[in-house]
Order: sequence, then C-alpha cells, then structure tokens
Amino acid sequence: MNLRIVAADFVAQLKGWTRSRGTIFWAIVFPVLLILLFGAIFSGSDNPTYTLQVQDLDDSAWSHSYLENLTKIPVLKVEIIPKDENITQYITEKDLRGALVIPKGFGEKISESFVNKNVTVNLSFYYDPSDQGSTSVVRSILSSSLQELNLGLTGGHHVVGMSPVSTITKNFKYIDFFIPGMIGFTIMQICIYGSIERNTKYRKDGILRKLITTPITKTEWILSKMLFMMFLSFFSTAIAVIIGMVVWGVVINFNIWMLIILIANSFLFSGLGMIIGRFVKEEETADTAAGAISFPMMFLAGTFFPMEQMPVFLQTIAHALPLYYVNEGLRNAMIQLDFGKAAFNGGIVIIFAFIFFIAGVLLTKWKED
Amino acid sequence: MVEKTVKCPSCGKTITCSGNPGEIVKVTCPSCYTEGKVTFPKNISNSDNAIEVFNLKKVYDDLIAVNDISFNVKKGEVFAFLGPNGAGKTTTVEMIESIRQPTEGTIKILGKDISKSFNEVKEFISILPQEFHSFERLTVRETLVYFSALYKKRANIDDIINILDLKEYEKKLYKALSGGLKQRVGVAIALVNDPEIIFLDEPTTGLDPKARREVWVVIASLRNKGKTIFLTTHYMEEAEYLADHIAIIHKGKIIAEGSLDELIDKYGKGSILHIKKCMDKDAIEALKERGFNAYPEGNGDIAVKIDYKERVLEVLSNLRHDCIDYESIDIRRSNLEEVFLNLTGAKLTEEEQ
Repeated sequence: MNLRIVAADFVAQLKGWTRSRGTIFWAIVFPVLLILLFGAIFSGSDNPTYTLQVQDLDDSAWSHSYLENLTKIPVLKVEIIPKDENITQYITEKDLRGALVIPKGFGEKISESFVNKNVTVNLSFYYDPSDQGSTSVVRSILSSSLQELNLGLTGGHHVVGMSPVSTITKNFKYIDFFIPGMIGFTIMQICIYGSIERNTKYRKDGILRKLITTPITKTEWILSKMLFMMFLSFFSTAIAVIIGMVVWGVVINFNIWMLIILIANSFLFSGLGMIIGRFVKEEETADTAAGAISFPMMFLAGTFFPMEQMPVFLQTIAHALPLYYVNEGLRNAMIQLDFGKAAFNGGIVIIFAFIFFIAGVLLTKWKED
Repeated sequence: MVEKTVKCPSCGKTITCSGNPGEIVKVTCPSCYTEGKVTFPKNISNSDNAIEVFNLKKVYDDLIAVNDISFNVKKGEVFAFLGPNGAGKTTTVEMIESIRQPTEGTIKILGKDISKSFNEVKEFISILPQEFHSFERLTVRETLVYFSALYKKRANIDDIINILDLKEYEKKLYKALSGGLKQRVGVAIALVNDPEIIFLDEPTTGLDPKARREVWVVIASLRNKGKTIFLTTHYMEEAEYLADHIAIIHKGKIIAEGSLDELIDKYGKGSILHIKKCMDKDAIEALKERGFNAYPEGNGDIAVKIDYKERVLEVLSNLRHDCIDYESIDIRRSNLEEVFLNLTGAKLTEEEQ
C-alpha cells in the first residue's frame, strides 16, 4: 500500500470536484435548498391542528361529555354538524375528509352497560380511504380517546392525559425528521453517481486502461475513492447540520452511531454504484439506471415524509430498501437519541454496506475481456 | 560504441550517429541544420529486443481477433503496427500492455514475461490508450503531477512541458484544450516516468492534418531520445513518416513485416518514372529495345518501371540520344497503400469502411 499514491489520487479528485458546478450543486446547493424549502413549508406545522366534524345525533349528557373531552385535545378542533343534516350528503357537499357521528341512543347504551356488560355502542367515522394524511392522524386520536373513555366506563383506573398519536415523531418538529433523511439521501446520490462516473466515464475515456499500466493498484485506487467519498459525506452532512441548526434551530446530537451510519452509508452506496457501473457500460445509460434506483428509493424510504403516511404495501416495500434504515438510523442517533433503535437500524445498514461494497469491489474490473 | 539511425523531426531526413549506451549525443541535421540530442538507451536486458511476442492468440467466442502472431520490437526503434480498423491492432497492443488477457501465447517486455512480472515492468513502460481523455477538470500541469506521483521513477515535469511545447497551456483545464493539444498532453503523460517503451495506440485518430503533423514531430523527437515506440495506426503516411519497422496486420494475422524500403521492395511495384506528353510514337519501342519495362499511360504519357535510381538517368539519356522530346518527368515510388493492395487485394482505406 503506497499512501503517497493514495494521497495524490485524493488531491486530484478534490481539485476536480471543487471545479465541477454539477457535483457541487448536488452535494451542497441541492440539499441546502431542500432543507430551506421544506423547512419553510412545514415550519407552521410544528404543532398541527386537525379539524374534526362531529354530528351528535344523541344529544345526551354522555355525548356532551364525550364531545367536551374531544375539545380538550390540543391538536383537535371540533366542529359540530347540525343534527338534521344527511351526513353522507353533507360530507360530499362540504368536501370533508372525515366526520364522526355519535348515534342516537349512545347515552342510553352507556347507561345500560353499567348493568349489562354485553351492551356495546359504535360511533361511525366517515372518511376517505385514499387520504392517508390527516385522516389517519384523526383516527388515531379518536381511538385513543375512546380507549380512555372505555377505561373510565368499565370501572378501571382513570387514564390521565389523553395523548394524541401523531404520525410525526412525538415531540419533534418536521425539520428534525427531514434533516437526517436529507443527509442520507445526499450521501446516497454522491456515492452512487461518483462510483458510476469512475466506472463508466473513466473506462470510456481510457483512464482505467492507463491506470492498469501504472504502479497504482486497484486496492489503492478504491481506498482513495472511498476516502474521498467519506470526505464528501462528512462535508455535505456538516452543511446540512449547520443549516438545520442555524436556520431552523434543530438540535443535533453527535455520537458514534451517527458516525458509523454515515461511514457505512458511504460504503453501501459506493458499492451499489460500482455494481451499476459494472453492468451498465455506457455513461448515459448508467446515469439513467442510477436515477431509476435512487429516486424511487428516495421517496419510498421516508426521506421527505413519514412512512406512516404511506399505504401499507409501500411501507412493506420500504423495509426492503437500504436507504430506509439509513434514514431511520440517523434519526434515531441524531435526533431521538434512541441508541437501541440506532444500533438496530445501523446494524442493518452495516450488513447492506458489507454486501454491496464487497460485491462492488469484486465486480469492478479494470481489465478488458 | 553503437550506431543509431534517427529521423530529423523538422525535415524527416535520416541521420546515422554513434554513441555509448546511456550517452546523450548532440546531432545536427545535414539538410536543415536543426540541432538535437540523441540518447542511447541503457541496457536493462541483455536482449536487443524491447518487446518479444510469441504465438499470441485472442479468441472471443467464435471470433479469432488475433491469430497466432509473433514479432519482436527492437530497443530504440519506432515499430508501427499498421492495419485497417478491426484488424486486431488494439487487441494485440492491449494484450502486450496487460489490459487484456491473451488466449494463448507469451509476451516479454524487456526480457520479462508479463504474465508473471508485469508489475516489475510498469516503471519502464507508458501508454497512450486509444481515444484517451484525461481528467477534465485538472490543468495540464496538475494532470502531469498526478500521473507522475504514481511512479517511483519520475521525469522533470518542466522538461516535459518544454519538450511538448505546452508551457502556455500548463494552467489550462484539460477539457478546454483542442484535440491536438489533448493528444500532446496524452503523450506528455506517457513521459512522466521517463519510460523505456512508449505505446501509442492510434495517437492521431480524429485529428486534423496540422494537429496530426504536430504529434508526428513529437513522436519523432521521442525516438531521437532513445525511446522505443510501439505505434498502432491505420494511417499509412504515419507509418511511412515515423516507423523504422512496420508490421502489417490483416484479419488478426501479420501478413508482412520489415522496414518501409523492404516492404516496398518486396510487395510494391518499386518506382515508376512517368514521362509526360512524349511526342514520339516509337519511344516505347525504343525504350523496350534497350531493356526498359516501358508502357503507355494514355494522352501520350509513358511509364517506365525503375528498379534502382541510376536507371532514371539511363532512361533520360536514351531519350536524349534518340532525340525524343517530352514535356516533363515525374518519379513516383510505391507506398504502403500499394503494398497493402498487393497483399490483400483491397485498399487500406476501403478495408476501414
């Protein structure tokens, strides 16, 4: 191993990189723009409120009591639908996404339940199944509220403090969610496209053929590339963290799991880039292939929006994507300080990194057939 | 003391000079008085051959790209591997450069079998791959510094920049250079380790005639510095201008090998004296009677095959003796195109198509 050669290769890459507007855009400008943009868009949703339309057909002491409890939930704004309205027609006319109906006899059934434990009563929640956003949040809140009510009615202990179940991480702002995802995504882009450039453009331009005949070894070359990829990963992470802290006041926790996941992420996606570059020889086609893999992964792996807002089948797919574990692991380590989950997600990232990187190195060929 | 033949980079005249291995001798061209230096290479192998190729073969599925070829390249010579596109030139040179794995055969560079000791040879060789493009966003100097750092043995970067006349471009980014300059930088990169052997794979393909000529001058000057040059080309003028030894490859086989003169003598039509607008109808018969191979060319022109240069004067003195008048004369020598035509039945340029 000749470190002088590794250093020379690193310096040459650094010089080339600082002179490329395209790579600087993707590594710095693009993530900064997105952090500023998404931060601004969601800055008002730190303590979101959800409107719940309720039609009280019972109009009893019990239904009033339940409604009163609902109005005490901080994130819920309760609006009453007149009793004489046809609920389905009303929902259509007013273009509502959901509405709760307290049926007639609600109070009576509750009173009966003290005597006869088999008596039950159901509330009706009208909603649009295609709306996986605020509706699912409201449903979660209602479930919690009913659970609390049932506990009270069945003689159990009174459950204090009904907590709304937010689909966004509890007590954290959207930008806290977004910045780790943005870091994971940016590193993925840098490493995949960097590897592809080396394995397709350098091959087309004869640089790999030239290097075979020089004393540099494939190991020295890959080491220098990985050092450079890690440098870029840390650099873009630093930019995202600084913007997040300075502009949006995000509290970032620096720890060993964050470091491990960042390094593993660089190896993981560099390996993936090497694999793509091995099988797709033409530069333009390789770029398209990289985009076809990285862009769906970006959306599916919970980079921009919480996974809980996605349909179940997409959530299942996301669990097979390495970027999902990178994003989750970084959130666990950087924001939530949940080191148990960080270790779990980080461990999966390391396994992915090991497989992809080893496969990438083994498949990378300097020699021609 | 050894003798060495060099070509003047300015006028192309062949000059013979002598010196000891490792010595640098000053030479002045007797024709154009250009001064230059000739380096006599140090022997790092006992053999006179820089490259030895034995029974080399490359097979892809059912295609035989290179079919059992053998040849030697002598130290200090320009060896041109001439052939149309697809003949097997690049496959051969890339097997010698260890970029491709031969199916069969042995390759020795400076006496070492590259299948076992290629790493030992790397410091002594350098290549300019076909259609080479270096790092776009490094300057010329940075590019040379980068490649230089890969070797233990390093030439002075300033000297290389001066030799290749790149001083005014040294701070320019590679991507901003013209095609000709990029090739000059490619040659400059090939010099960073002061190699014994330089492989140039189609170094002038895609260049305009002026840029091509510039690269030829650079290659000729390298030869005069004692470098062994392995040149692959499909331009016969390039081989004629630069090569000491030419191997013609066709459909994976070497079909002829030798110096330019040897190839033309053996496979060409020799030299032809063209006598323009000869007025005497009996001139051809008169020349034939005196043993000349003369034949009509139309429009009153006569062609006479010339075996050796003194025959030109003999033809002209005979015409004068017989009072045969003519407008002008023109002597044309056979070229590699004709050699290739005679060997393959096709023109080199047609084969490319």
